Amino acid sequence: MPLVNFTNLDFDQIKESIKSYLRSNSNFTDYDFEGSNLSTIIDVLAYNTYITSYNANMVSNEVFIDSATLRENVVALARNIGYNPKSRKAARATVSFFVDTSNITPTPSSLTLRDGVVATSFGNFGNQSYSFCILKGNDVLKGNDQITNSNPSGITVPIVDNLATFTDIEIIEGTVLSNTFTYSSRNPNQRFILPNSGIDTDTISVIVTEGGRKAKYVLQDSLFDIDSTSRVFFLQEIEDERYEIIFGDGIFGKKLEEGYQIDVSYIVSSGDSANGISQFSFSGRITYERNGVTYPVTSGISLLTTGLGSSGGEPIESVSSIKKYAPRIYASQNRVLTSSDYETLIPTKIYPETESISVFGGEDLVPPQYGKVFISIKPRNGDFLPNLIKDNIKLKLKKYAVAGIVPEILDLKYLYIETASKVYYNTNLAPSSSYVSSLIQSNVNNYSESSELNKYGARFKYSKFLKIIDDSHESVTSNITTINIRRDLRIALNSFAEYQIGFGNEFHIKSMNGYNIKSSGFRVSGITQEVYLSDIPDSDAITGSIFLFTVPSVTSTSSTIVSRNVGTINYKTGIITLNPINITSGKVKNGQSVIEISAPPQSNDVIGLQDLYLQLDVSNSVFDMVVDNISSGLDPSASTYITSSSYANGLLVRPGGSVQGSTIVSGTGTIVGALAGSSSFITASTPTPTPTPTPTPTSSIPTFTFTPSFTSPSPSPSPSPSPSPSPSPSPSPSPSPSPSPSPGY
Amino acid sequence: MPLERVSKGFKDISMSFQYNPLNNDLIAIKNETAISRSIRNIVFTLPGEKFFNEDFGSSVSRVLFENVDEISASSIESQIRTSINNYEPRVSLISATAYPDYDNNSFDVTITYNIIGVDVSTQQLEFVLQPTR
Repeated sequence: MPLVNFTNLDFDQIKESIKSYLRSNSNFTDYDFEGSNLSTIIDVLAYNTYITSYNANMVSNEVFIDSATLRENVVALARNIGYNPKSRKAARATVSFFVDTSNITPTPSSLTLRDGVVATSFGNFGNQSYSFCILKGNDVLKGNDQITNSNPSGITVPIVDNLATFTDIEIIEGTVLSNTFTYSSRNPNQRFILPNSGIDTDTISVIVTEGGRKAKYVLQDSLFDIDSTSRVFFLQEIEDERYEIIFGDGIFGKKLEEGYQIDVSYIVSSGDSANGISQFSFSGRITYERNGVTYPVTSGISLLTTGLGSSGGEPIESVSSIKKYAPRIYASQNRVLTSSDYETLIPTKIYPETESISVFGGEDLVPPQYGKVFISIKPRNGDFLPNLIKDNIKLKLKKYAVAGIVPEILDLKYLYIETASKVYYNTNLAPSSSYVSSLIQSNVNNYSESSELNKYGARFKYSKFLKIIDDSHESVTSNITTINIRRDLRIALNSFAEYQIGFGNEFHIKSMNGYNIKSSGFRVSGITQEVYLSDIPDSDAITGSIFLFTVPSVTSTSSTIVSRNVGTINYKTGIITLNPINITSGKVKNGQSVIEISAPPQSNDVIGLQDLYLQLDVSNSVFDMVVDNISSGLDPSASTYITSSSYANGLLVRPGGSVQGSTIVSGTGTIVGALAGSSSFITASTPTPTPTPTPTPTSSIPTFTFTPSFTSPSPSPSPSPSPSPSPSPSPSPSPSPSPSPSPGY
Repeated sequence: MPLERVSKGFKDISMSFQYNPLNNDLIAIKNETAISRSIRNIVFTLPGEKFFNEDFGSSVSRVLFENVDEISASSIESQIRTSINNYEPRVSLISATAYPDYDNNSFDVTITYNIIGVDVSTQQLEFVLQPTR
């Protein structure tokens, strides 16, 4: 009989194989009877084998990152290839407030918001209350990492006119905790373990008192750029999602010496559950100093105004994510070369709030743009990346990127579909109109979230959409639905920029008199009132021009044209171009200034052309319930039947925009202001070849363009990046003024 | 002539683990001795003691901490019967009796059985059940 191979993990099968061995190799017989002595011995042997096999199996599984299941083993294996899993991230928000100091006499010169808890979530947020704090961020560093102790820790602002204004204070969700260690060289096994789990490692601050002088140590994750005197510490995750701090050894990083005191402070946060809080109440501590005595301020503190609601909270990186990213990060060797390197490195090391990312090289574009890599990031919160974060990502990428390759961060280009439906229903079959309406909305919601739409190359199928409404409830007899497509044009505030936005779908010209497209209101430098843009077609009904107008009120039907020929429109290709224009404000969405531009599509089936991302905007869609008098039997003769237009309604501006049913009366437009740098105010509606705007002598005009990638190169007619005033590193704070057209929709 | 079942005999290892001085082999116990040892094992094993067979054994030791009386004795008898019928297929149980020994706070148990397939007389196994820990 061959040797039994005990790889089985089933006790009974192990026992059976021992029995079958005895059956053929022994003259004992009683192994079959459970009460026998032999059976007891077999049990012990089988159990022993079982435990050994199980342990061997577990050990061999936990040795490999693919099969390991225990977090600490996965983390340890990832550490071997230089990957430190992402910690929990605390949500951050900004708040502003002011303090009235008129009741403090004499008025102090400044007030200090002390570090620690500053605000709590207002009321109950999901049955939980969260506290937000500020870090000890104000330690003053002197040369050689030394810290002076004179500054009271906190944020200090001066008092002007009895008001101390704290503006855009960044608050971090969680509790500030600290630990103190004393280094002892006599203890060779000393470890510096932070005893709490749930730490946001970005907030760890390490201050070492080196014989009476304090020095700040910084987190380092590689051995590059450090020497024997660098004040650095390394961090590694250990068991139970805790962290251990490791100091240098005198070769890489400064070595600790006997008696050094290590003060570590950090934030333990609730991670992603504290995202989305937008109301805060003050619970901080404000003080002022007089004659060396610190006094608290308890009155005169205003309510907190939220700048950015809390966002960015993240749970600790999951085991599956570590398994996915650790080998890939190792493969990329902390360098970004291929596009998949970018796709791996950005979510893990640079911008953890990435929900999805797509990266492609400039050589893939038509026309190719060599030397560039284009990155498109969908953040977890919101649709777009703020420009500040974009710049930050670019900056951080420099550490990893190959010299000479310029990363460009593109926004996801959403094409929104807005629907307006008149739903006829039979009152005899419907419990209530609101019941049917909510059914329809939930079905439409499901459709909008389905994979039918949320992908590149998606198509909105009009007839399917009608069927979804019709099939929502048996009482629905019919529906009449009109479609609008919308894009949000992001604007570069307070700087001249040329804009181009493509819809990828042909526009329907409803009226040759104009007002086919609608926009939300915005303000332009030199014009005091809020303006809107709309179009007037040329006689060929292919192209047209864009003009600006004002309305006395949002519901007003009489418009005043303030500026003509501020841009062009191509109805066939669905591209709107604005000549250089200085926009000073627009509609604010997710912290971004935008102009909403909507237009009726020529075809009700809307496609997401190329890199346009189709989204059915349910929140901007309307479902009106109309009683079907005929089917309900209320009015069989249809004499009082309510008809609905199958064409876009009489509204000619976006809700929240303005103007109804106005037509251009030639010549009545009054020019209110002048637009420097843009084309002149010509009342003629024919599209004169837009004159190249004379570059203003002050600075070059940064063009901020949205160029469709499917059109021919450099569609921008006017301010071609003139070589003379070269677009030098932009002096203005304008967001990423790219000298050449950036690709795509 | 009636058909007679003949078994090849039962042979079990001895829990004393002593060896035979003549052939230096482990002492084996055979047939009726092996079976009586097995019955004792079954009665004295608590349910859950045997790996992955939590029903095996009898709970007589639990009853030993009850009052020493006829009711407990009857319960012991029934448990012994059930466990032997379930786990010792080699015997045909004739009786299992437990007598309360009030003075010694114990039960005298007598189990009578025939061994199936072995030509031996009716066997009787006696032991005392005492509440010990």
